[in-house]
Amino acid sequence: MTPSERVGALIAGTPVDRPPFALTASLYGARLTGRKASEYFSDPALYAAGQRAVAGLCGPDILFGPFAFALEAAAFGAEAERFDDAPPLVRKPATRSPAGIGSIRRPDPGASAELRCLVDSLAAVVADQGGQRPVAAPIAAPTDLPILLMGMEGWVETLLFEPELAAEWAALAADHFAALASAYFAAGASFVVVPVMSTSPAIMAPNLIERLLMPILREAFGRLAGPIVFHHGGNRLSGLLPMLKDLPNVAGFVLDERDSFAEARQALGPGHLLLGNLSGPQCGLRPAADLEARTRALLADRRTDAKFIFATSGADIPYDTDPRVLERLGSLLGSAP
Amino acid sequence: MDATALSALLYRHILDARRTEARELLARAVEASGYEFALRSVLEPSLALLGERWSENSISLAQGFVAGKVAEDFLALGESHWPEAEVTAAGDGGPARIAVMGNIEDDYHAMGRSLVTTFLRLRGWTVADLGCDILAASFVDKAIEVGACVIGVSAMMLTTARNVLSLRAELDGRGLSGRIKLAVGGRRIQDAA
Repeated sequence: MTPSERVGALIAGTPVDRPPFALTASLYGARLTGRKASEYFSDPALYAAGQRAVAGLCGPDILFGPFAFALEAAAFGAEAERFDDAPPLVRKPATRSPAGIGSIRRPDPGASAELRCLVDSLAAVVADQGGQRPVAAPIAAPTDLPILLMGMEGWVETLLFEPELAAEWAALAADHFAALASAYFAAGASFVVVPVMSTSPAIMAPNLIERLLMPILREAFGRLAGPIVFHHGGNRLSGLLPMLKDLPNVAGFVLDERDSFAEARQALGPGHLLLGNLSGPQCGLRPAADLEARTRALLADRRTDAKFIFATSGADIPYDTDPRVLERLGSLLGSAP
Repeated sequence: MDATALSALLYRHILDARRTEARELLARAVEASGYEFALRSVLEPSLALLGERWSENSISLAQGFVAGKVAEDFLALGESHWPEAEVTAAGDGGPARIAVMGNIEDDYHAMGRSLVTTFLRLRGWTVADLGCDILAASFVDKAIEVGACVIGVSAMMLTTARNVLSLRAELDGRGLSGRIKLAVGGRRIQDAA
């Protein structure tokens, strides 16, 4: 089976030769091609070459568009700082105050240089892979974009105490989310992957998530014409799945490494995809034997789960990860029973 | 309603992010029984319980933020009630309770700093809150100007946490290290602790 056939069969519920796997190695393509991350995330051809190198090294069934949400924020006027060995970060938000929403620019994915670069990079990977591999498009969550544009404090304060202003921000974020996702799907993305940090119980208690964030997610997700994979965003997710499972267009969930697949499957039933949950950031830190043991244990645990995709969880695999680690993981996963 | 019930209700309002209801409850308590009662018997027990649950990781950042706002509202409600001595001095012959707070250069993650500022004020400290993106020299200039015994500096990202070193160097360079203490906070500092 080709990766596309394998992933397609899994989604359709028909037999697969082995479980598909995805390693979040957006940044890592820069390392493999000997490029600075700052160049790599600025040039669609370099980006596609990097993802081709990832495919060559470890053969994942899914590749990724750029994991670079700071570039989405930059399109709104935020200042992004670029690094040699890390994805860009927001250095200065687009506005210092929630009330500044009227003064920030509203980027069009067809016209904004930053958004154009993100979409063209994904399109270049799709073209380069020639339909052999699904390509996922990471996109900032509509509940999280305001954090990138004005900071956490401003957004939390607005959500909690300024409902009319919060609705304005939510509309801005939903419009952007729908427009950029639509551009990604038009460019060939198989699905969008949405890390949602603001639903962290450490940031918002479940009663506040239900009241303040779920309406934003329902509205924005409902506007997409393609599937969404809800990413845990660095937080445990399984406890929230009963609340999240009926969000529109959500095909699956990426779990945190600390989450239990059994609990998650129980909460969701058999329909949704479950992805995870080997920590991507830890791939650069843990001994190879430990990574292999965790991988084998995870595959054994999920061997009867017909909607399981092995994936790294958390953020991108770090730039300085030894390529032999990923090569070995790819080999192990590619020969999984 | 007795003090315990009032405090429990206030706690519930904070968990549900009902800031207006919390402010009204405290205003009624001040009206009925005085500012000292509202502070010591209603607000402080609620905040103490929130603090306990915070240390158990069972309070979210948003709820902590609401608690800070409720404390801020209470301070605004009763500024005239504060005994002068408590605002400016420890009362035990120690240094004046004056702090300078701010986020270090290039850091815009203000929430933690705001919470600490509010709770210091609630405990009678005078705080000069400089805001975000503050140069090391500006922290020290302000601390000298207001006679602060401590500078509280916050940095959320690893890149900005590194800038805190320049504040340490500024204090050392001006020979102030023995006089002005440096308190550092933020996610990366927490992780490293």
